[in-house]
Amino acid sequence: MSADTPVKAVKTEGTDWVSKIWDFLTSLKLIIILLLILATLSITGTLIEQNKPLQEYYRIYQPGTVALFSKLGLFDMYHSWWFVVCLSLLALNITACTMERYRGIMAGMQKKNLILDEKLSKSLQNYTTIRYALPLTVIEAKMLERTGKAFPGKSLITKSDDGVSHYFFEKGKYSRLAFFMTHLSILIIFLGAMAGSFFGYKGYVNIAEGEMVSQLETRSGNIQSLNFQVKCNTFRAEFYSSGSPMDYRSDLSILQNGKEVIRKTIRVNDPLTFEGVTFYQSSYGALPDQVIIDVLKKGGSITGSVTIPFGRKVDVPGVSDKVEVVDYQEHFHLKNGEEGGRAVGVTIYPAKGEPMERWLLVDHPEYDQTQDGNQSYRVKDLQMKKYTGLQINKDPGEILVWLGSLLLIAGIMIAFFLSHKKLWISLRTDNKGKSELKIGGTANKNRNAFGIEMEQIIQDLKEIS
Amino acid sequence: MTNSLLFGIATFVYFFAMVLYVSYLAFRSEVLGKVASISLLGGVVVETAAIGMRWYESYQMGIGRAPLTNLYESLAFFAWTIAVIYLVLERKFKIKTVGAFVAPFPFLIMAYAALNPNDIQPLVPALKSNWLISHVVSCFVGYAAFAVSFCVSVLYFIKVGAESRSPKSGGSFWGFLPSSSALDEIGYKTIAIGFPLLTIGIVTGAFWANVAWGTYWSWDPKETWSLIVWLIYAAYLHARITRGWRGKRAAILSIVGFAATLFCYLGVNLILSGLHSYGSMS
Repeated sequence: MSADTPVKAVKTEGTDWVSKIWDFLTSLKLIIILLLILATLSITGTLIEQNKPLQEYYRIYQPGTVALFSKLGLFDMYHSWWFVVCLSLLALNITACTMERYRGIMAGMQKKNLILDEKLSKSLQNYTTIRYALPLTVIEAKMLERTGKAFPGKSLITKSDDGVSHYFFEKGKYSRLAFFMTHLSILIIFLGAMAGSFFGYKGYVNIAEGEMVSQLETRSGNIQSLNFQVKCNTFRAEFYSSGSPMDYRSDLSILQNGKEVIRKTIRVNDPLTFEGVTFYQSSYGALPDQVIIDVLKKGGSITGSVTIPFGRKVDVPGVSDKVEVVDYQEHFHLKNGEEGGRAVGVTIYPAKGEPMERWLLVDHPEYDQTQDGNQSYRVKDLQMKKYTGLQINKDPGEILVWLGSLLLIAGIMIAFFLSHKKLWISLRTDNKGKSELKIGGTANKNRNAFGIEMEQIIQDLKEIS
Repeated sequence: MTNSLLFGIATFVYFFAMVLYVSYLAFRSEVLGKVASISLLGGVVVETAAIGMRWYESYQMGIGRAPLTNLYESLAFFAWTIAVIYLVLERKFKIKTVGAFVAPFPFLIMAYAALNPNDIQPLVPALKSNWLISHVVSCFVGYAAFAVSFCVSVLYFIKVGAESRSPKSGGSFWGFLPSSSALDEIGYKTIAIGFPLLTIGIVTGAFWANVAWGTYWSWDPKETWSLIVWLIYAAYLHARITRGWRGKRAAILSIVGFAATLFCYLGVNLILSGLHSYGSMS
């Protein structure tokens, strides 16, 4: 690795602490310790379940432990300041090491030591001398032809003062750049992740069939408006005969200025992207579209019925109250713990006094009569409307993440499987009038494999006749 | 189903291969060694047919999916990749004696797989993706490479101990093993195969997650553990390449790395909860 020995960075004005910090940032110790710390922290994060509602933690841990963990950020540790500090240190370390290695790598790519002399030959592998009876010009032509098979590309020829010709061949020079590829790729991925969290958003919306939305609430709690409308034309869920899900699909339209610009059926694994915003099939469900409710007097006689579209306040016949359907549950839990079936949540707005919330059980119409009050309600008819649940994501940093990933994979492949190989050959006529060829080479990695390659080349050269 | 029968036969062939490799170790007969390699190869051929048959039969059932989606199938594929990677390395590095320590894995894994339900279930929507095959194959070939490196690293410790006790005979009883420095080198080379594949596995997984759920990294336990494995082997490679860590320290990291790999593969599914539900033992 002689050519790869790192060249020390120029110390700035000899200030001791600067070089100390620099040495710390470029030390192998730092990187190994950082990698192991990150591994340990990550393990912790999988043992303590992350980002659960607080009450779940109280179920698992003592209240004191919950308070401590919560203060330390252990419930959302991948976003805690100390985890971010570790990642930043890693980024700094990678940057510093890249700068530190820059000159060494560039130096290794330069063509130097073009003359195969005594001193150079000692650092080469498979150093061999071959003698021929043929004239030098013949040997040169055949040597160039045969070596050219293993080392394509022009060789560099230098004549030394003693009349010896030196030929320099190399290949895989740019494999030395794999170091930059693997290390800068990590920084690019970090940049992409940061760009995503600063300039992007993630959110979620439910859109009922036939309806459209033009804004959403992001995970961070902001309202994000879109430059267009998304309409859910239809939603379909299909199941296998065993009951397990087979396919979820939403037929979506994007509208701009009232005109449809794109229409696509999205599925899980097949989202729709428009103007950098991507819509993913995430969940589905149903909400009451229209509910017809009977109003009953105390005693049980019907005083009238009322049709309530979802989300609209409607007058209750016979009294001055208003009623609104606000919620729906597929599996309502009764107070005694039993399953109550479908339930419609309504809010009653009396003429005087506070609004009241009530659950009306579709499958147990008598349920509301057990409550206090002058009148009770029961669901006479319930029309449901399906909705699709979409995950919405805008991530301008994504492209950087994929670019970094590709660079990382390519860099690792090159680093492991390619090496910079150099070959020197010198030709001269020796004092007995014979043609003398000397050959030797080096590789910056995997010298065993290069040794085998060298043996093959030497064998080829020996067979020149 | 024909595929179950073929998987059963493959398990038996792996068992015989294991017995033959151990016998080769005991008797050092060239013929035994050849037969051992051939039977392991035979196991691979039968299991390849089994995997192909299972794939084909899933189409006949009208399901049509790659056989890589539940615990049974992933264990069977894991056994297959270990056998294949080992056979390639045996040819390349002439390490037949190591076979006695690697060959039990395909058999034991297949035997464990047989304890799990093996009916062909249709895929849930999230798994219906072209990324399934590339993601699973790259991860598992990486895991298998780490498994072989683990075996070689354990052998390294045995060999080093034997060499220090009787330096002249190259470790008397353990003399048949490759030298400790050769084991060290093979352990490294195997990781050098596994690491790029694990990287590809993580990247394809992230890409797939982004297509399916709109997020390429969610710190799900499986993702996090694959990152932990990646970090451990990254530490190994940095220590080895830039600091020349060889021998014991490198072997310890390789063993720790494989322990993390096993947890990532099985532990996460059996103990923690997350997106990769194939391993849940309910």
